[in-house]
Amino acid sequence: MTQKARKTSSNGGDSRQNRIILGRTICLMVLFGVAAFIPLLGRLWQIQIVDGEWYQELAIEQQTQDMLVTAPRGTIYDTQGNLMAVSISVQNVVISPRDITAAAETKRESGERKRTAGETPTAAEAAALNGAYEEFIAEHLAEILDMEAEDILDRIERNANYQYVVLKWRVDDEISDAVRAFQEEYSLYPGVYLSPDTKRVYPYGSLAAQVIGWVNTNTNMGAFGAEAKYENLLAGSPGRVVTARNARGQEMLSSYESYIDGEPGLNLQLTIDATIQSYCEKTLAEGISSYEARKGGFCIVMEPDTGAILAMASSPNYDLNNPRTVSDPVLADYLEQVQADPAGSEDAYLQALEAAQYQQWTNRTITDTYEPGSTFKIMVLAAALEEGVVNDSSTFYCPGYKEVADRRINCSNRAGHGAQTLAKAVANSCNPAFIEIGQALGAERFYQYLEDFGIIGKTGIDLQGETDNTNLVWTEEYFTGIYGEVSLATASFGQTFRLTPLQLITAASAAVNGGHLMQPYVVQAFTGQDGNVVEQTTPTELRQVISESTSQRVREILFEVVDTGTGKNARVEGYRIGGKTGTSEKRDEDTGDLIVSFLGVAPADDPQIVVLLAFDSPTPVTPGSNYTSRGFFISGGAMAALSAGPLVAEILDYLGVEKVYSDASYADVVMPQTVGLSLADAQALLQTKGLSCRVVGEGAVVTDQLPSQGASIPGGSQAVLYLGEEKPAEQVEVPALTRMTLSAAEQALAERNLYLRPSGATSYSDTTISVSQSTDPGTLVDPGTVVEVQFMDTSIQDYAENGNIASIR
Amino acid sequence: MARKHKRDLTMGEQLARGPLDLPFLMLVVLLTGVGVIMMFSASYVDALYELDNPTYYFMRQGAFAVLGLAVMYAVSRVNYQHLRWMSVLVLGASIFLLVLVKVPGIGSSGGGADRWIRAIGPLPRWQPSEAAKLGIILYFSARLSKRGTEKKRTFDRRRLSGCFLEWLDNVGFLELVPYGAILAVISGLLLWEPHLSATILMLAIGASILFAAGIKLGWFAGGGILMALLLGFVASSSGYMSERIAIWQDPWSDPQDAGFQIVQSLYAIGSGRLLGVGLGNSRQKNLFLPELQNDYVFPIVCEELGFIGAAMILLLFALLILRGYWLAIHARDRFGALLIVGVTTQVAVQVFLNIGVVTNLLPPTGISLPFFSYGGTALIIQLVEMGVVLGVSRQIPAPRAG
Repeated sequence: MTQKARKTSSNGGDSRQNRIILGRTICLMVLFGVAAFIPLLGRLWQIQIVDGEWYQELAIEQQTQDMLVTAPRGTIYDTQGNLMAVSISVQNVVISPRDITAAAETKRESGERKRTAGETPTAAEAAALNGAYEEFIAEHLAEILDMEAEDILDRIERNANYQYVVLKWRVDDEISDAVRAFQEEYSLYPGVYLSPDTKRVYPYGSLAAQVIGWVNTNTNMGAFGAEAKYENLLAGSPGRVVTARNARGQEMLSSYESYIDGEPGLNLQLTIDATIQSYCEKTLAEGISSYEARKGGFCIVMEPDTGAILAMASSPNYDLNNPRTVSDPVLADYLEQVQADPAGSEDAYLQALEAAQYQQWTNRTITDTYEPGSTFKIMVLAAALEEGVVNDSSTFYCPGYKEVADRRINCSNRAGHGAQTLAKAVANSCNPAFIEIGQALGAERFYQYLEDFGIIGKTGIDLQGETDNTNLVWTEEYFTGIYGEVSLATASFGQTFRLTPLQLITAASAAVNGGHLMQPYVVQAFTGQDGNVVEQTTPTELRQVISESTSQRVREILFEVVDTGTGKNARVEGYRIGGKTGTSEKRDEDTGDLIVSFLGVAPADDPQIVVLLAFDSPTPVTPGSNYTSRGFFISGGAMAALSAGPLVAEILDYLGVEKVYSDASYADVVMPQTVGLSLADAQALLQTKGLSCRVVGEGAVVTDQLPSQGASIPGGSQAVLYLGEEKPAEQVEVPALTRMTLSAAEQALAERNLYLRPSGATSYSDTTISVSQSTDPGTLVDPGTVVEVQFMDTSIQDYAENGNIASIR
Repeated sequence: MARKHKRDLTMGEQLARGPLDLPFLMLVVLLTGVGVIMMFSASYVDALYELDNPTYYFMRQGAFAVLGLAVMYAVSRVNYQHLRWMSVLVLGASIFLLVLVKVPGIGSSGGGADRWIRAIGPLPRWQPSEAAKLGIILYFSARLSKRGTEKKRTFDRRRLSGCFLEWLDNVGFLELVPYGAILAVISGLLLWEPHLSATILMLAIGASILFAAGIKLGWFAGGGILMALLLGFVASSSGYMSERIAIWQDPWSDPQDAGFQIVQSLYAIGSGRLLGVGLGNSRQKNLFLPELQNDYVFPIVCEELGFIGAAMILLLFALLILRGYWLAIHARDRFGALLIVGVTTQVAVQVFLNIGVVTNLLPPTGISLPFFSYGGTALIIQLVEMGVVLGVSRQIPAPRAG
């Protein structure tokens, strides 16, 4: 121990101490200069190189904001270029509760600074000084947006950590301008701001609603119709702007930015013609109300040569701008009943609302199926003519029923049509005659034509939601088998199988257009934003079903149906309209309700349009009655044909088809000038024009005339010549002309110095009565005005209950 | 004062005029320059948004760096032998100042801790704990360099207490008492602020000098075990500490709050990949990473300069540290050697802890990165310490020509 002590105090101890320091310093050098850096470098390698990509992705996710720049959605046009659906720019009003809370503090500070500097703080700063900055914003925004201030305040407080809370979606320019002014006045950004958005607007409201469809505002995607079917093409692809942002969500523009260009949506041009569509919808609505059709109806107008759909209407209808609102009167009444029902629950109402909405969104013409009834006889006729199993000299005898297998199938005319030619059988819509025609064709050929006319399957129209009716038609095996006999019989007059209205009109178009089965379509073209056509639909012929000559014969027979048969009520003087009526039992219901329809072809010589118009479930005055409360016989001939006639005429008029009068006396005459002429000269002049005349007063010279020169009145009308007498100048009231015969109506009008232009029926007898007039009763008009009156032939009763087919499969 | 002729100088004075160690000087200047630039890049956005002056931190740090380098040169001119007697004053003054931070009117607090002496006159607000580090280095080096040259103490063996004291002396306890007391006082004051990271650093500096001076290794083992137990106890007993440990083990358990800073730090480092996003192009500095001008400059360095750049910076630090110890080994006397060991160890521990923390290698402690982190006092004291090292390097005898 002493030795050791001595040693440490010696010089040797000193050097030993130095050696210890040296050794231990080297230790530290190795530890801190080398060893310590190894884990650090290892860790950096791990983070930057091994896991770098993962960290980088997460970092970029938070560092950049990826703003979607919505591509402008394509516009939808009708075939004439009218805007059917268009997207307009609107703004969303957005608040950032987080920034509002933060701004309350800065506003208070700036307010305080101003106050100490002797300046007046702004209203926002004053509110912040009182600790009521949030209230200030809430109150002002509530006023602008027509909301509750408490509600806004509540949302600010509830979402205190959020930066994007939409207060109001898609506001008009007026409101967004007010918000912007408010925001700028008190420099509220980023607490309050506007974010651009688009809104889909349908200028025509409810027009062609089921075809166009609408855009769901939540998903910004098409929900129904063409909007949904062509979502991808219409929507285009959104562009992206990637910008660096800081942790507060503010853009750091200078740092990092990249753009990915979007693709604007394509414009869609439909084959639908807004004018024709509006005619159809008007006709549907009027018919539904006058025939008391409880389940709406549908109407299609097709261009037979191409398969282009000119109009496609379904009722119940709705407004595309408010797709969830049920506006159809029948549906709205029903919903009100459900809501008012004290026993009903809120759930029941919502369920009913949902069902009603779905119903109005449905494009019945392609989604619903029905038994076509007699309108289907067109195809049976075409097939039979084509196969030569019938011809113009064929005759049929109808005793009022037909026995098939063990069944007795009644004709619409229980008394029987007696002996008929082929054309007459069609004009009478005689079921026994058609059963015979079907039998003459035979099940195999009949079924072949079903397939050829596209009655089984789908038409392949370029819309979504088309029903495939394969399961609603017999199989070939069954139809041609031993049990198919009754089916063949009922199929011959269009019952016991179901198809979509579109299938029927497509097949009928083939029957009258020369035999070409066309694929129906509603998309005319897709065009780019620059107007260039990107894709154009060319008509597609699926197959030739019958020959041109057969088709011509079919057209002639259909013309006769309207001219003299069950379709009489569709007649319009001047146009050669062909067609076939149909009254079909809704065998899927046991309500006894009917679908009354008319399939029209016009002009019959060279069809430019084929129209299918149907009303679903007209209400009988008492259950089981054949008449409605307004005296309409429930049948296609008395209802659908009656509505279809003026519709077809209106469409042909619009399409510029000239009226051709077979009988010149029906043509309108321009009133010549007779004033100043002698009575005899005047009478002679009128006679050359085919007008009769009535003389008022006594004198030699005509002093005035009714109607005045240049007015157009129906040929054969009576003009009034005034000889010295004053012509009555005051306006007269149009009388009510409902359910009058032609002569009674004529007389009622003549009493008031008005003229009648009849339309509808051709031969006027006691069973022909007026059903509507062009000028409403009570309207004041000038003397000499022409009132157009539509007549119907009430003798047409093309349907009588035929309950014995109800049980047929 | 007229410059004395060389022959009139004492031996010591002559040595003090020796050449500065050029490699060390260059490393210091390089690190200071790179540090200021990187701090500028990192703090730019934060300064822009918070202070509306993007160059706020840069201008101030730059000024301190220039001033610090001047002071470093001045200090290096001082014959470090004078530091022996100064050390007592520095230590005493820093302990006094550590007490002052708690005196209202003089102390200044921030973030729930009283760590600063408030700005007085032209002097900005500063942390006396930085001075205390210097105090410990100077005092420990001065006292330990005389270890073994003191007379052997004698004890009255006839008394039991005498025998006990002699035993304590022989196992080396008695000589540790003053150091232990100083460390205890300073640690106590720092923990009172509280300033845990400075405490850890202080203990590390003290321990390194004691270690180099030749204190028996057993004491380090004992001290180490004691500290580990203490830390374990604190970590388990205080909810705050155990939560921090949990976050360290899995920062993604709470990435929005407690784990936010470290997660953001890792994003920054990882984003750098091999070559970095380029100087000034950091995106994490866009207010994502908090405190980036202080303890979190290095993640931005990693992001902007990539693994290559970060490794280069680490290499510079490593070279500085190796050169420092090399100078310690070659120092003229034990005092100089221990001084350098203290200074170099301080730098090394700070670098290790700071980078360890930002890479989530170690649980979070608030230790700044020398030369990089913003802080005037820290930078000046650091450069003063570098000046001391350079001062020692002047007196290293030139190797004799072979």
